[in-house]
Amino acid sequence: MIQPNKSLTFTFNGESFGAIPGQTIAAALLQAERTTLRTTRFNDEPRSIFCGIGICWDCVVTVNGVSNQRSCLIEVSDGMVVKS
Amino acid sequence: MIAIIGAGPAGLAAAVTAAKKGEKVILIDSSTRLGGQYWRHLPSNWKQKRLPYFAEAQELFDQVLSSPLITWYSNAHVWQAEKKNEIFYLYVVKNGVEEVITAQKVILATGAYDRSLPFPGWTGPGVMTPGAAQAMLKTHGVLVGKKIVIAGTGPFLLPVATGLASAGAEIVALLEANKQWRWVFNVHGLLLNPSKIREGVYYLKKLRSLGISIQYGSTVTSFEAGIATIGKKEIACDVVAVGWGFVPELSLAGILGAKLSVQKDGTVVVDVDRNQETSIQGLFAAGESTGIGGSVLAIAEGEIAAGKGNRVTRWRAQVFAKGLQRVYPVSSGWLSSLNSEVTLCRCEEVKVSDIQSAIDELGAQDGRSAKLLTRAGMGLCQGRVCGRNVSEVVACHLSREVPDRERIASASRPLAGPISLGELGDGLGKKF
Repeated sequence: MIQPNKSLTFTFNGESFGAIPGQTIAAALLQAERTTLRTTRFNDEPRSIFCGIGICWDCVVTVNGVSNQRSCLIEVSDGMVVKS
Repeated sequence: MIAIIGAGPAGLAAAVTAAKKGEKVILIDSSTRLGGQYWRHLPSNWKQKRLPYFAEAQELFDQVLSSPLITWYSNAHVWQAEKKNEIFYLYVVKNGVEEVITAQKVILATGAYDRSLPFPGWTGPGVMTPGAAQAMLKTHGVLVGKKIVIAGTGPFLLPVATGLASAGAEIVALLEANKQWRWVFNVHGLLLNPSKIREGVYYLKKLRSLGISIQYGSTVTSFEAGIATIGKKEIACDVVAVGWGFVPELSLAGILGAKLSVQKDGTVVVDVDRNQETSIQGLFAAGESTGIGGSVLAIAEGEIAAGKGNRVTRWRAQVFAKGLQRVYPVSSGWLSSLNSEVTLCRCEEVKVSDIQSAIDELGAQDGRSAKLLTRAGMGLCQGRVCGRNVSEVVACHLSREVPDRERIASASRPLAGPISLGELGDGLGKKF
């Protein structure tokens, strides 16, 4: 298996990351060993991907200003701004 | 026009079969790649060796893509549906725009997702379903961790373990909660499906060659700060992938009013007749939504739903699937060992103790009232992860069984997916 180049860049909470075309936000962040995607509303607990297929909504982030987006489903596009 | 929802094995088989009969098909799927959760694959920009089992998938993909009669409608989410004057109206959101698709016949091939049970530490990063670990690896080429514990029950744990290990992860433990002798309950299923014996032998050999042994009869009881507790042992790891079989996705079947029923093990499925037609005329269902059964069964059901399939193949696979339920049951043991501080509903952060006080102090008498009092199951996932567990915790606390009607109610939801008011307000501009 040969991995293509990470030709896309995006930011997550201000920090820059690379992604392979076709990779979702969650996949690219997990590859960079960034496991916490957000913290919860009430107890401020860290959360990451859980179901990985868009069922559980645990991995939600804000993408280009739109909140509650499932990072496990949304593919990275160049220049995307992602926030917890 | 036939609308097929879901492009996994059942949906693809249905689409190809219908097109062969000369019918026009719209194949609607929420992903950008064909194959569903089962035939996962890396994008074409990766250079990779395809596994032999993928040949069947590739053939179906090629047929879908080359057929002038099939429109593949990708990245589209059906969030609502109705039947009026013998016509089905499917409300779809694609790229933030709402559209309506009309069809005379609808085949639901909406699949299933991993069943999860709560345990201390299960909400933290590092704990995920085996399906998530598999999705990250097979669809994105990402290994979810370096030292991984795989636990739960069911045959799906085996390909997940071999896949992760082959990609370089260390499988520090592979825990199957059920004992191996339980296969006596499915000897007839194996004899009717010799390919399943070959598949089992393949995975057992592969595990041995990777140096992984299966520990039967045990599971992970907690995960805190990189330490998984397994019985009296503690094991350092960075990922715990736990799955307890699968839950059929029935939102659209429920919305359209199809009759749902409860299997012996508590799984809610959509009822179908011998032609895969549900209680609603013109609405068919194929694959995991009619009962968890794997890809062979899903393909047979998809073909039959589209009007031409092998009923003997379906019967054999059904016998095997029924037997599997007895080999890999989920015992109610998780309920008795449940710590009241464990989070039950991940979305709304509802603990077991919140449910208990809703019953003891506020008088909740069933899953529904417990839900209304605590918000368990009312978050973004709409109870897909916790719904069944909440019902079972409530019933256990009240020392009774979960009524079938409650199981069915918690598998149904008014919307198949959240939709923003902006998308809703876009108007029904585009029609098919």
